[in-house]
Amino acid sequence: MNGSDESNGAARPAAPRISMQFDHPLRQYPVAADLVVLYEVEGVAPGSVRAVERSVLWYTEGKGEEDLGVHHFERLDDATHVAEALPTGTIAVRLPASPLSYEGVVVKIRWCVRIRLFFATGRDFVSEHVFDVGDIAPALGMVERLQ
Amino acid sequence: MRLPRFFGKKRGHRRTGSQAWGSFGEAIFYAALVAAGVCFAGLLFSGAVGIGSDATAPAWSRWWLWAFTLLIPGALLAFGLAGVARTVRAWGKSEERRAAAEGISNLLESMGQSPGADRGHPGVPTCEDLVNSPGTILRYRLPIESPESWTLVGMGLFAVLWNAVLVVLAVGAGIDLLSGRIEWVLFAVLMPFAAVGIGGIVLFVRRLVLTTAVGTTQMEICDHPLFPGRSYDVLLAQSGSGVFRSIALTLEVEEMASFRQGTDTRTERVIVWRETVKEWTNLEITPGVRFETHVTVTIPAGAMHSFASAHNAVRWRIVVRGQPERWPGFVRVFPLIVYPATLTRSTVAGGLTLVDKVRR
Repeated sequence: MNGSDESNGAARPAAPRISMQFDHPLRQYPVAADLVVLYEVEGVAPGSVRAVERSVLWYTEGKGEEDLGVHHFERLDDATHVAEALPTGTIAVRLPASPLSYEGVVVKIRWCVRIRLFFATGRDFVSEHVFDVGDIAPALGMVERLQ
Repeated sequence: MRLPRFFGKKRGHRRTGSQAWGSFGEAIFYAALVAAGVCFAGLLFSGAVGIGSDATAPAWSRWWLWAFTLLIPGALLAFGLAGVARTVRAWGKSEERRAAAEGISNLLESMGQSPGADRGHPGVPTCEDLVNSPGTILRYRLPIESPESWTLVGMGLFAVLWNAVLVVLAVGAGIDLLSGRIEWVLFAVLMPFAAVGIGGIVLFVRRLVLTTAVGTTQMEICDHPLFPGRSYDVLLAQSGSGVFRSIALTLEVEEMASFRQGTDTRTERVIVWRETVKEWTNLEITPGVRFETHVTVTIPAGAMHSFASAHNAVRWRIVVRGQPERWPGFVRVFPLIVYPATLTRSTVAGGLTLVDKVRR
């Protein structure tokens, strides 16, 4: 699983596990392609989740402060919709023309699907699964550092 | 209820501290500012602090004093209320939800203010400022981004402001001298002031001569924005006089990241790709006749597009580096905007196939 699960808070009682299945091999998508992701949430007691947020976004990594751009966001916070979204669900969205995934020297751009669960106890849990948009060659290295 | 941790740890993207307690602390801080502002304003209006109560002072000076004094509680209230509102708005919301809300408000703003902005390419800066100057031979004249020019402007401003202060002090000292009084302290202060002022003028004039002596560099391009995999006709025109040991035209990609280090905000800029398009050596330019040449610039297929966000950027640029025989070398930068190669959909037998096609 090329993703990361994390919970907000120190003590974590039995963390849930979210797995995702992308519809493109190697999770590599061309620009403006349709992204379809099937997800499955395990380890969550029925009725314990108050809200679910599903988003498709890009963020920057590297030396600079993190910037974030949300392409798709939905929050399900009524019981009926939460019950429909768990334990399995689908996210289908058409990707934008930019920005493309990039592995630079001090700037990196990553695309990911995030699912965030808000529990009735006030705790939240987020699972992030990275994929690539476009096919940009990584930067080979630093040629010169500017003042 | 779990008590807050005062010392959190950073584990990758995650911090061990509670976000809710962090927001609560921030709200308390801003609420304290509001409370301080309210107390200060209350003291002023109740007359406990005797501002503007001097009946002998003229009315205009009392009002001026009032307005000036109200700045302090006013600033506390404005800063505190804005902070409280921001914290309340973000309370309990995930960063995705906040970013989505910001994205919608940015979109609404851009719809009202800049209809020419290309909303189809998030993260790619628009090139409106780069295509508003027509070229003499090719379609667009590229604006120059020269650090030398800003240095010159900075030096000029410093020389003007410093010497303006110097003149005011010198006039005062001169009047004293004419009336027979000699203020030794003032003269002692004026000497180093005058030395710095003269030094500022000398440095400014020297920089002005160096900047203008080698002549201007002009760049024109046949189209903008640029797309990966395509070639573009570029005109380079260099004016001036004398022999240039070399003039090199390079195409570069720069990455820029700004980050906080303690209380400072720092910016790191690195060149991650450079290609020499052409280099000329031992070039003699006669006054009044500029050196003009056409070159072809190719953006490699699969190259990263221009990107800009709040703290990170990927920038394309054409750079001209010149080395005149009798003057110091110069660097002139011309920014470019490169869009990502877009895909158009074409339905073929057996399903939907994506065809890579550059949008024109």
